[in-house]
Amino acid sequence: MDPSAELVALVGIGILLTALFLQSESFVGPLVRGIALQSLFIGLLLGWLAWSQRSVDLALLAVLAVGVRAVFIPWVLDRQIRAFRWRLREVHAAQRVTGHALAAVALAIVAWFVFQETLSTIFPQPGGALPFVLLAEGLLMLATRGNTIVQVIGYLEEENAVVYAGALFAPHFPLFVEVVVFLDVLGVVLVGVILSIQRDVTGTPEQGSLEELSG
Amino acid sequence: MITSFPQLALLLLLAGPSAAAVLALVPVGDVSRLAARGGSILSVATAVGLLVSRASGRWGAFLGVDALSDVLLFTVTSIYATSAWYSDLYLRAIHRPFLTPQVYYALLSAFAFTMIAALLVTDLGLMWIGIEATTVASALLIVLERRPSSVEAAWRYTLIASAGLTIALFALLLLYTDTGTLDAYRLASTPPALTLPVEMAVALALVGYGTKVGLFPMHTWLPDAHSEAPSPISAMFSGVLLPTALYAFLRVYRVLGSPAPAAVRDLLLTFGLLTALVGAFLLQRQRSYKRMLAYSSMEVMGLAVTGIAIGGIALYGALILLVAHAFAKSAAFYCAGNVLRETGTTRIDAVRDLRDRMPRTGTAWVLSSLAVTGAPPFGTFVGELLIVVGALAVGAVWVAALFVLAILVAFLGVNGQVGRMVFGETADGPSPPANAADRGTGVIYVNIAFALALGVASLPYLSPALRAAAALFGGGAP
Repeated sequence: MDPSAELVALVGIGILLTALFLQSESFVGPLVRGIALQSLFIGLLLGWLAWSQRSVDLALLAVLAVGVRAVFIPWVLDRQIRAFRWRLREVHAAQRVTGHALAAVALAIVAWFVFQETLSTIFPQPGGALPFVLLAEGLLMLATRGNTIVQVIGYLEEENAVVYAGALFAPHFPLFVEVVVFLDVLGVVLVGVILSIQRDVTGTPEQGSLEELSG
Repeated sequence: MITSFPQLALLLLLAGPSAAAVLALVPVGDVSRLAARGGSILSVATAVGLLVSRASGRWGAFLGVDALSDVLLFTVTSIYATSAWYSDLYLRAIHRPFLTPQVYYALLSAFAFTMIAALLVTDLGLMWIGIEATTVASALLIVLERRPSSVEAAWRYTLIASAGLTIALFALLLLYTDTGTLDAYRLASTPPALTLPVEMAVALALVGYGTKVGLFPMHTWLPDAHSEAPSPISAMFSGVLLPTALYAFLRVYRVLGSPAPAAVRDLLLTFGLLTALVGAFLLQRQRSYKRMLAYSSMEVMGLAVTGIAIGGIALYGALILLVAHAFAKSAAFYCAGNVLRETGTTRIDAVRDLRDRMPRTGTAWVLSSLAVTGAPPFGTFVGELLIVVGALAVGAVWVAALFVLAILVAFLGVNGQVGRMVFGETADGPSPPANAADRGTGVIYVNIAFALALGVASLPYLSPALRAAAALFGGGAP
């Protein structure tokens, strides 16, 4: 196995492990650090690909992954947790972490299997299934968690999946940098603006079942 | 260098709302309101110019129009204009709004700009950015009235729509990997071979953009955002944002050539029918009239997707339905805004006797409800009829039966509830007229008249453009 493929596979395993860790954790602080670590892994991978392909676009994406998703947004999320004056554990997820972890593992296996059966011949790159697994894990997190800070983490995981897929399969995808900048802007809007409004209006990041939004 | 009218029109369409958005931030007198109105009128006039000149083609590397974008540009700019007009009355009635009028009008114009930009670009990647930008521009508008429910609705909208659009981006990655281009016009003129990645890309685009269109089961953001947004924004959501997202999907769908493979059409048909039926049945149990209208929009999007899946004359019907629905539903949401300003509640059972209390709004409320539910002779009726005829023409009797079931259920549900609100008696007898809240009905009647005109006459320029748009996808007109 050549060193490049070995490095990609190693970082890929790191990304997969962080994805499974995020599903099994109910404390918000470690979740924020977990997504920062995952984004750092993505940044490392992009940096390596940028260097090996001499690609300025991939280098820019690496800087965005580390600067925005590994440092800036986690820093804002940490500040939000403190500003909410709210305990550091999700209320509802705490009782269901075992179920979440099992579902995450099952989903990872299904996503990997589906990829092998359908797209593996088209995308033979090492670790080709991982972006699809990561996308499925991000969607699972968005669908099953009721805490808005944790949902932002699910959103960031999805964004990591897209960047990972783009870098692996289509490094020359037109406007890729612009697309990722846009996803980052949306991430910042989510954590910086809407979370602040939520803090002012409701005082809690846990979503309740509001009567106005039922039916 | 500008050398032709379409080139100038494209620039004006982009410059009008963006300049209005910037000017609206000037904190002087009525500048923000006038900027939004001016920008929207300029946009409508330019869009009409494009329709009249039958502009088609591309200018530069990334901009272009064809009959489909001409029709939708006219629709988007018209609803932008009526919403900019209606916003003034609505804003005055809000106690402690979260946004200043300057920021509100700036975001309103920015929201319109993002939709217009998505309709003008020829690159699928840029189109994706345009659709994603609609979320950024409109999310804050939902929290205008500072309710906990509106904050949660904005949150759900942003997260769910963005999650869906991430899937759409995966679709574009697949498409690019297989074809080496994202140029929608080039992909349409020389469709790529129907490989597994291309078909998967279209299926993923259906799920991704379908989330923004409000297709079942990705629709969960729609009733929340549409019901919690201020009425002029709800009108833009239901009337034009959903069709704009559907347009982005159609550009990917067109890559398959005409007719599309049966498997993809079946998938589209399943999503369409399920959405129409689920929307129609869910709207029956709503206690909020704005939420009921939101589910009605979901139902209509399902009907339109069904028509697109069937193709032929049904596709032409789907386009008529989308345009007529945009005008009818925006009128219905403006009526809902008037009722909310007068009664202070969105609960259906708390509103009665609008006939006496708000005669102009009450009448418009009944007419717009009939229009959105496809009553003859409105344009929505013609669109739905053509879809049924198209389904029967290809022998899809069960599809036609389920389609008619969805229409009937939605018709009875919406008009039954609106009838109770308008003609139902209060325990205290007839209510005195509320003149202050019964204003601003001019734009409502204009939109209702347009929805009606689409049904009773072949409109110059618009009807030929609709036929040409359907022909782009292999659809035919009677």
